[in-house]
Amino acid sequence: MIPFELVEPRSLEEAFLQLDQGDPAIRPIGGGTALMLMMKAQFFQPVRLVSLRWLGGSFRALSVEGDVFRIGAMTTFSELAQSADVARRLPAVVRAMPALANVRVRNVATVGGNLAHADPHLDLPPIWMALDAEVLIMGSKGHRTCRVADLFTGYYETVLADGELIAELRVPLRPSWRTTYVKVTTRALHDWPALGLALSLNLQGGKIGDARLVLSGALEKATRLTETEAVLEGSAVDEALLRLAGDAATAEAALESDNRGSADYKSHLLRVHLARAICFLTSNYHD
Amino acid sequence: MNARTIRFHLNGEPVQVDVKPHESLVEVLTQHFNLKGARESCGQGLCGCCTVEVDSKVVSGCLQLATFVDNCQVRTVEGLGERNDLHPVQQAFIDAGAFQCGFCTPGFILMTVRLLEENPDPSDDEIRHYLSGNLCRCSAYPEIVDAVKLAALRLSGQTRPDPSRLELR
Amino acid sequence: MTDIASNGGNIGRPVNRLESRDKVTGRAEYVHHLQLPRMLHGKILRSNRPHARIVRVDTSTAAALDGVYRVVTIEDIRTVIPHPYYGPAFHDQPILADGKVRFSGEPVAVVLAADKHVAEQALNLINVEYEDIPAVFDEVEAMTSPVLVHDELKPAATFADLKHLKGCRDTNIALDYHLRRGDVESGFRASSRVFEHEFRVQTVMHATMEPMVSVADVVDGRVTLHTASQGPSFVRIEIARLLGWPENRVRVKVPYVGGGFGGKLYIKLEALVTALSLLVERPVKVSLTMEEQFFAITRHACTMRIKSGISEDGRILARHCEVIWNGGAYADIGPRVTQKAGFTAAGAYDIDNVAIESYAVYTNKPPAGALRGFGAPQTAWAYERHTDMIADELGMDKLEFRRKNLLSRERPQASGTLMRDAAVAEALDAVADQLNWSSPFDKGSGTIRRGRGIAVGLKGITSPTTSVAIVNLSADGSCFLSVGTVDMGQGSDTVMAQIAAEVLGLKAEDIRVIHSDTDVTPYDMGTLGSRSTFHMGTAVRLAAEDARRKIDALRVELGLDTHAGSTVPELLRTKYGMQAGNIIGTGSFIPDYRKPDSETGQSDKATPFWGVGATGAEVEIDTETGWVTVTKVVNVIDAGTALNPKLVKQQISGSAIMQLGFTLTENMVFQDGQLTNGSLADYKIPNILDMPRDWICEWVDAKQADGPFGAKGAGEFSSIALSPAIGNAVADALGIRVVDLPITPESIYVALQGMPVSSNGGQKS
Repeated sequence: MIPFELVEPRSLEEAFLQLDQGDPAIRPIGGGTALMLMMKAQFFQPVRLVSLRWLGGSFRALSVEGDVFRIGAMTTFSELAQSADVARRLPAVVRAMPALANVRVRNVATVGGNLAHADPHLDLPPIWMALDAEVLIMGSKGHRTCRVADLFTGYYETVLADGELIAELRVPLRPSWRTTYVKVTTRALHDWPALGLALSLNLQGGKIGDARLVLSGALEKATRLTETEAVLEGSAVDEALLRLAGDAATAEAALESDNRGSADYKSHLLRVHLARAICFLTSNYHD
Repeated sequence: MNARTIRFHLNGEPVQVDVKPHESLVEVLTQHFNLKGARESCGQGLCGCCTVEVDSKVVSGCLQLATFVDNCQVRTVEGLGERNDLHPVQQAFIDAGAFQCGFCTPGFILMTVRLLEENPDPSDDEIRHYLSGNLCRCSAYPEIVDAVKLAALRLSGQTRPDPSRLELR
Repeated sequence: MTDIASNGGNIGRPVNRLESRDKVTGRAEYVHHLQLPRMLHGKILRSNRPHARIVRVDTSTAAALDGVYRVVTIEDIRTVIPHPYYGPAFHDQPILADGKVRFSGEPVAVVLAADKHVAEQALNLINVEYEDIPAVFDEVEAMTSPVLVHDELKPAATFADLKHLKGCRDTNIALDYHLRRGDVESGFRASSRVFEHEFRVQTVMHATMEPMVSVADVVDGRVTLHTASQGPSFVRIEIARLLGWPENRVRVKVPYVGGGFGGKLYIKLEALVTALSLLVERPVKVSLTMEEQFFAITRHACTMRIKSGISEDGRILARHCEVIWNGGAYADIGPRVTQKAGFTAAGAYDIDNVAIESYAVYTNKPPAGALRGFGAPQTAWAYERHTDMIADELGMDKLEFRRKNLLSRERPQASGTLMRDAAVAEALDAVADQLNWSSPFDKGSGTIRRGRGIAVGLKGITSPTTSVAIVNLSADGSCFLSVGTVDMGQGSDTVMAQIAAEVLGLKAEDIRVIHSDTDVTPYDMGTLGSRSTFHMGTAVRLAAEDARRKIDALRVELGLDTHAGSTVPELLRTKYGMQAGNIIGTGSFIPDYRKPDSETGQSDKATPFWGVGATGAEVEIDTETGWVTVTKVVNVIDAGTALNPKLVKQQISGSAIMQLGFTLTENMVFQDGQLTNGSLADYKIPNILDMPRDWICEWVDAKQADGPFGAKGAGEFSSIALSPAIGNAVADALGIRVVDLPITPESIYVALQGMPVSSNGGQKS
C-alpha cells in the first residue's frame, strides 16, 4: 500500500477543515473496510485520510424520534443487527444481516461509509431506498438532505461534493408497510449478489397499495424500478400480476452480463425472485 | 509519513508502538510484537486468518489500520489460556481434530471464543453463520462445528464428556 | 515383511496430531512469518499480456524510488545463473520472462526493498514495452494451432522417458501418452451399441491459505532456502543443478506448510529467491498474495472424448479415450499428470479392448501442474458421467451396469497391472448401501426436483519413487525421526511417529519428528500423490527395524543376553561409560515398478498400489433458478488399514469438500487470456455454509498387503468420484445433459430451457 497521511479530527469543524481542500485524494474513512480494499488493490491512492472515529452527535445517533428512525453514519452494521429498535421497526434490515459480508466486516463497516462507497452490489443501500430513507449531508458550507434514491450517480459515484460527509440516515417509519430484501447469488451461497431486490409495499383492501422496488447488483447503480412499481400499485396479487410485474421489471432494467451471470439469466432471476418477494410480502408475511 | 505512537492493551498488557498510518493491525502485531497467530492470507477480509479481537469485537486485522487500535483492548490467539493451560476452545479444537495445516486455526478459534461469549449455546445454524466468513482450504468444517459444540458444552460447566465418545461426524 | 504384530498400541489409534498445541496457540512455524536480519522483500512485476515479445523493460524510475534496493530482470539473473530455466519434466520455465511472455501474469521483473510497501509502490514505476503475438488458449485448438507457445521442447533429465522429445519443434504437444490393449476397432464392430461423448473440465486453483513463499539466504558460497514446499529434496537437487553446485552446498528447510494440495511442488519461487539472494548478497523473501497464486500454478482444464462399445447384455467390449490436457504456458509436472491420469482414463472397468491417447498441451494460460487427484478427478468426471449416460440409454440400473463391468480382484486393469488390494466393488457397495440405492427415491414435484447419483473411480500412484528415513535413539532412549515428508496438514508427522513407535515399542506422542532440513533429513521424492504413508511409512518401518537390529547387535557386542530386558539407555551407558551416544537406524524404500511400454502403455507393475474412491450424492434443485443444493454425500475410499482413523477420516472429508468446490463453485474465468476473477472475492472456494446436510466419510475394511501395517494412502481418493456423483444426481433429477464442469445454476437454467415441457421435469423414471 502506498503511504498516506492520517488525521483524526475531534470535531466536525476540524473534520471539514481537513476535508475541504478541493483534493479528491483527501478522503474520509469510516470503518475502512471498503476503502482498505480499494487501496490495497490500488484503485484509490489517498494522500490523506480523515478518520471520522471521533465524531459524535448525528454521527452516532441510533434512535426513534417521532416517526423517523435516525441512524448515525458511524453506526456499525453489528450495532444495527443487535438493536432491539431496529429489529422491531426495520426487520428487513436485521433479516439481511447474516448474508451481509461476515461478522468481522459487520463489526467495523459503517452505515455512512457503506452509502458513500456507492458500490451497486452492496446490500443495505437498496433497502434504504425502498424504505424512502434520506441522508443528512454535512459540509463546511452547511447541510442538506438527499433521498438515498438520489444519492448515487454511477459506479462508486455519489452526489457528495469534495469535503461533504454523510452524517445521518433518516428512515421514515411506516408500520403498515412490509419490506423484504433478496440477495440473489449465483456462484456460491455466500457471494457478491448477481442482483439484489428490495421490495417494500403496503396492502390496501387486499390489493397492493404503494410499492417501492429497487434493483441492485446488476446495474451501474441501485435503481428504483418506477414503471414496475406502477404495475404493482393498485393490483391484486395473482398469477397475472406476477407475470406482468416480471415483464415490466425485465423491460425496465437494463441488466448487464458479468461473471455472476448473463443478462438473460439475470432477467430470468429477476422475474422469479420478484414474484417470490411479492408472494412473501402479501401472503403469510410475519414481522 | 507521520508515524504516531499508539498505546493500547495487548493481551492484557499495556504496550506502545510507533506506527505509520498505512500499516495494518496484522503487520504491526507480526513485525513489532512478533505475534504470529493472525496471518494475512486473502488480504480481503474474507478468510478470517487475520482475525483479531478489538474491544471485544472480532475484526479483520488485514483491513484494520493499526492506528485505530489506539486506546483499545486487543486480544490475539496468544492471549488465550494461561501459561500451560489451553483455553477450552483450543482444547476442543484439538479433541475434535478441527484443523489440518493450522494456518486458519487461530482465526477460527478467536471467532469461536467470541461466539461463545456472546451466545453460549449456539445452534448448528448459528455456528455456521457466525463462521461463514472464515475459510479453511483443508476443509476441516465438519470437525470445526463439532469443536464449537464441544467447547460450548464444556464452557457451560457440564460434565466434561469423553471426546472419544462424542458422536462426531 | 510386514508382519510385525501391531500390538504396541499405536496402530489404529486416533492419536491427536503431535503438533496440536502449536497449531491452536498460533505458535506453529510457517515460512510466511520468517524474518531474517538484513532481509529484502521481493515484489514481482507481472505481464499483462498473454503472449508477447518483450521489446524493452525500463526499470530506471523504479530503481530511483527512495527505499528501493534494486530492480532485477532476466539479464541480471543470467549473471549468476547462466542457464536460468527449470522444470521437473521440461526445462522450459525461465526464472523471469526471457525475451517473451507466454501468459498474462508471468513474472517479468522483481523490485527489492526492505519495506514491502515501497517495493509494491515501485512496481507501478516499471515500464514494459510489449509487442503482442497471436495467442492460443483452448487445449483442443492448441493441438493443431499454428500459434506456438514454445519454439522447441526442452525435456529435463529427470524423467528418462521424455528424452526422445528433445529438440522437437512446431508443436504445442509437450507429451503424448498411449495405451493399447486388445483391439478397439474389432471391439466396436462386435458391439451392439456404440456411445460417444465429450466432456470438459474447467481450470481451478489450489488457493492454499498460506500463500506461496520462499526465502533464500546465500552466504559464503552456500545457500539456505526456507520454503513452503512439499518437495525439499527436489528443490535441493534442482537448485544445485541451476547453480552448478554440489547438493551439500544447498540447504532446504521446511517448517509447517499452510496447505499444499500439490501446488507447492517442484520449483515455484525457490529459483527466483536464490538468484536474487546471489545478486544482492542478502536474504531475500518473496511472499505471494492470494491473487498472485492464480498465476503460479493451477489444475489442468481438460477435454476428454470417450467412446464405448457395449454388448447386447450390457458389457463394455471396447473403450477409446482421448484426453487433452491444458497445460498452460509451462509444463511443470503436466507430462506426468498426462501419463498417470492417462492410464486410468478408462475407469475402474474390466474392458478387453482399450485405446487411450493423452496429450499434454501448451497454451498461453498460467501453468497447470499437480493438484490433489493428479488428473484422476477430471477423467473420472468423463468416464463416470459417460457410464450413467450409457446406462440411461440402455435402460439399465446405474449400479447394476457398474457392477456388471467393474474390475474385480486379480483382473488386469487397462495397463495390464492386476487389481490387487483395490476394494473397488466394496467401496461402490458401501456407497449404494448408504444411499439406500435399492429403495425408491422421491424425485420431488413442482419446482423442487431431487436426484441421486453414484460414481466410482481409481487412480494409479506416481512410480517409482524413493523415500529414506532415519530413526535416531538418544542416550536416554528418547527417539527422533528424521523424514523428508512434509506435514502440510495431512498429519504425516503423527502417522510416521505411530509407525516408528509401533516397531520400537514406544508411544507415538513421545517421538520427536524432525522437519525437513536437507542437511539433516534424508531424501524423499516428495509429499504428493497419496504416496507418503506407503513409501515413507515403509521406509520408517524399515528404519525402526534397523534400529532394533542395532540394539540387538549392541547387546551381543556387550556380551549380554539378547532376550534380557536391558534398555537403550542401559546399553549405551554400558558401552560409553556415561549418558552418551546414539543408536541410528536407516531405512529406504522404492517399490517394484516396470516401465510401461511406450507404444502400448502395458506393464504388469504400473503402480505400487491403487487409489480407490466411490461417492454417492443426493441433490435438490430449484428448477426456477437452477440452484443445486447437495443434500447428502457419501464418500467411501479404500485406505487399506487406517493407521490413524481420525486422520484418515479428515483426509476423506477434506479432499471431498475441496472437490465439491471444483464441482460447483470454482472456475478461473478467462477472457482473451486475461483472468477476470483472480481473488477469493470472485473465485469461490467452499465455506462452512456449503457443507451438505448429510456428510458421510468412510473407508472399507481392507488391507494393503505390502503397505506398512497394511496401510496405503488417503489424501486424494475421495476426490476422484465426487464430481460425477453430483453430475449424475443432477442428471437424474432433471434429465438434462450434464457434460461440463462446473455445474452452475446458470448452466442448469440453460439446459432446462432446451428441455421439452413435461409434468415430471423431463426426467426419466
